[in-house]
Formats: sequence, structure tokens, C-alpha cells
Amino acid sequence: MLAIEHVSKVYGTTRAVDAVSLGITPGQFVGVIGRSGAGKSTLLRMINRLGEPTEGRIRFGDIDVTALSGPALRDWRRRCAMIFQQFNLVGRLDVLNNVLMGRLAHTSAWRAFPRLWSREDRAIALSALDQLDIAGLAAQRAEDLSGGQQQRVAICRALVQEPDIILADEPVASLDPRNAKIVMDALLRINKHFGITVLCNLHSLDLARTYCDRLVGMAQGRVVFDDVPAALTEEVARELYGMEAHEVLDADLGPGLLAPMPSAVAA
Amino acid sequence: MSESAATLSAMLRSRNVELPRYGWRTHGPGFVAIAVLIGLFFLGVPVLGISFERFIPGLWRLGDIVMLMMPPSPETWSRFFIYLEALGQTLAIAFLGTMTAAVFAIPLGFLAARNIVANRIVHFFARRLLDTVRSVDTLIWALIWINVVGLGPFAGALAIASADICALAKLMSEAIETADRRPVEGVTASGGSRAAAVRFGIVPQVLPVFASQVLYYIESNTRSATIIGIVGAGGIGVHLSEMIRVLEWQQVSFLILMVLVTVAIIDQISRVLRKTIAGRG
Repeated sequence: MLAIEHVSKVYGTTRAVDAVSLGITPGQFVGVIGRSGAGKSTLLRMINRLGEPTEGRIRFGDIDVTALSGPALRDWRRRCAMIFQQFNLVGRLDVLNNVLMGRLAHTSAWRAFPRLWSREDRAIALSALDQLDIAGLAAQRAEDLSGGQQQRVAICRALVQEPDIILADEPVASLDPRNAKIVMDALLRINKHFGITVLCNLHSLDLARTYCDRLVGMAQGRVVFDDVPAALTEEVARELYGMEAHEVLDADLGPGLLAPMPSAVAA
Repeated sequence: MSESAATLSAMLRSRNVELPRYGWRTHGPGFVAIAVLIGLFFLGVPVLGISFERFIPGLWRLGDIVMLMMPPSPETWSRFFIYLEALGQTLAIAFLGTMTAAVFAIPLGFLAARNIVANRIVHFFARRLLDTVRSVDTLIWALIWINVVGLGPFAGALAIASADICALAKLMSEAIETADRRPVEGVTASGGSRAAAVRFGIVPQVLPVFASQVLYYIESNTRSATIIGIVGAGGIGVHLSEMIRVLEWQQVSFLILMVLVTVAIIDQISRVLRKTIAGRG
């Protein structure tokens, strides 16, 4: 159980994340939605401790995540893998070595630095690539791949960490719809197959409804919605997205929810 | 203003578009800068005691020297081989000096990079140190090292190494600072240590840049190694200065040709290598 307790992040005078409290049950596929700048990224990055909370605490079981440092912090990062919008691969390294970055926490520096990965680690990495149908790309340079392929490599890197949670920060925002579906399907498969909790920031409501068990809506750093996707009415969506509502709603919402008013059809 | 131009500007005015005006406000600073430069030039002439009376006959003398240089010749084959060996020495000075500089510059470059050493005070002093030492020219280092280890190529290699450590370190630290930080974040987020983040996030990005910078320095140090030979730090420059002193102009021109050809060859090799390195990324 991941517990976020009154967590805030303050930059100067703006409260990017404002007293957020959430409990994430193991095995859930949680979508965090909201307009850009709502604090979704900041929240996710604090869970991995890429960002430090200004106030509040994050706990995972008995572990006080916010107090970790040194090897304990690295082990925590190993347990909550992160997937980024821009993939954050090492472009000049080949795909297999990029996946093996996920084994760093399991490997001593004297073996890792000269890239003397154990046979077992290499096998784990290759089988992760195989699971995502990209084992054939193992020897290619990461920067030569397409965006969709790079994001799948990043998912493999997350997988070989053997994590409890995967944090995905807008994983499909830089991808075309077809690749977005491939990547979201992969995340869903990992969630269902391995029981790894997925916490995923999404801009698109349509994707959020399709893939998530639970949606957390954020606006101005606060949680304004937290329920199953079916409970997300048009009204709530409008509040969440404000000025951006029409882009998200018109494009994404199915006819059931956004059926035009009869009068509008008549006109 | 012609009629069509008048209607055109009237049309623009009606759409609230103001024609840009050119005058002293826009062009003035440029004219002033050029005037100042010309003024400084004529101010400098008497200060340096430049006299055109001496210059014009000097041109004739220069012509005489060029005539005396023709045709370039080492005179004997034995001298040619001596020069060839000295040229090899010059190349060795450039190569060993630059490689030594690179070995020391790499750790210094990392120390001086803001994204590696976050401590502002360390960063500030590292940068100032690099800037200060960098401003001492190779020639000055050569004169110093000749007094320490004596005349010869060893002093030359030391001079190039000491002059370029800081210059290379500064370039390298800039390459490190402009490296993409996303891979670093990726490695950190997967549980890699700080050292692992540098090793995998930054080193693969900057190594090709370093290689290209070192190659360029080897190239340019081939020229520097010739010059420092003139003050006695070994290599072909020693012969060059000696032949100028004894007025053996044909041999002087032959030596200059040897240097020119060598530098051109090194330039070509280095350019091809640097292109290959860059092309891989």
C-alpha cells in the first residue's frame, strides 16, 4: 500500500502540489488526469524522489519514503520504476544495455561500470525485450529507434527492476495514436500479468477511461476527483480541464456522455 | 515619393502598419563603431613607431629574401634526413603533449562542470583556476620548462601539456554541462548511484566530443610544436631558427615547406577522423 499523506511541493509562491493525500492499493491501475500544469508530474516525481516534497510524507508499507537516503533510497527507486514522456534512455548505448540500466541496483559498480553484466542479467533483459516484441532490436542504438520503440525499451528497463510500482509520467504524450495504444497495452499487460501497480499520468481522458481502474483528477495541485472512471461526469471533466475542456472532451468522450442536446441537433 | 509608393504607404497606414524608419537611431551606432576603429588605427601608427619610409624599402628586402629562398632545398640528403627526424620529433611533441594534457584534463573537466560538482564554491574556484592557467601561452611554458628540464623535446612536450590541460578541461567541462540530462534522470530513477548516473548518463554522450576536441588540439599543436622549437624546445623549429640565423634561406624555405605539407596532412587525417566520430552520433 502506497500512502501519500498531505504532500505539498512549493516553488517560490506557487503550490505545484497542494496537500495531496492518496492511498494506492497494490495491483491497481490508477490514472492521474488533469490539465497541463495541474501538478501531476510533480506528484509522480516526488514518489520516486526525483523531486523532494516540501511538506508531507510518502509511505510504502513500513517504509517512510520521504526519509530515505543512500542505498535505501536507491533500493526504493528500484522498487518504483519510472517511465518518462521523453523516454530518458541513454541514446548512444544499445538497447540491451539500456534495459540493463534497470539492473544497476542489483549489480555492484565494479561489474556494472565496465558493463560486465552477468549472464543471468543479460538473459533477464533479453526476455523483457522479447515480452514486448522488440528482442530483435537488442543490438541497435537506442537513439536510432522510433518513439514507440524507445518507450517500449523504457518499459523493459522498468520491468527488469522487478518493481512493485511503475510510475508512468505521460508515457504516450510524444507518441502517435497507434504507438500510444501499443505502449498503453503493454502497461496494462504488465499490470494484469505481474500484478505491478501502475500509476500513470495521462492527458487524454479517452485513454484514461479505457485503461484505468481508478482515476484521480488534479487541478491546481489539489485532488478534485478520485473514483472509478464511470463516475467521471462531463461536469467534473469540465472542471478538471477548464479552458482545455473542449479539446479533451470533444475528441475523447464517447457519444454516451457527450451526446449533443436535441435542440442542438435540430438547429 | 512616387504616386504608387504614396498609395502603398497610405494603404499600410489604414491598416495600422507603420513603415519602419531608418536613420541615425538605427544606423548611427554602426557608423560610430567604424569611425572609432579607423581612429584607433591612426592613433596606433605613431605609438608603435610605424614608419612607411622604412616599410617601402623593407618590401624590397623581403623580395630579395624570397628570391634567395628559391629553389627550396635541403642541400644534402643527409641534412634532409636530419630534418625528417626533427619533423618526427615535432609530431611526437604535439602528440605526447596533447595526450598528457587530455589525461589530466578529463578529471579536471568533470570537476569544473556544474552538473557534476554541485558545490558552487568548488565550481567557482575550479573555473577561475582553469581560466587563469589557460591564459599562459605555450611559448611562455616552453621558456619556463627549458629552464627546469633543459633544452630539448622533453621541455616541448611539457610546455604543450601544461598549456593545454586547462584549455581542454574548460572545453570538456562545457561539453559535460551541455549534455542532455534526461539519460541521467533515467539512470537515477532506476536506482543507479550518482556515479552510475555519470558513467551511463553522461560519459557515453561526452566521450565522442572529447575525442574530437583532443584530435583538434593535436592538429593545432603540430603548429605550436614548430614555434616552440624556435626557442629551443626540440623538433624542427630548432633547425628553422638556426637556418634563419645563418641566412641559409633555401634551407629555411625547405623547412617551411616540410611543415606546411605535414600540417596539411595532419589536418586532413584529423578532419576525416573527427567526421567519423561525429557521424556515429
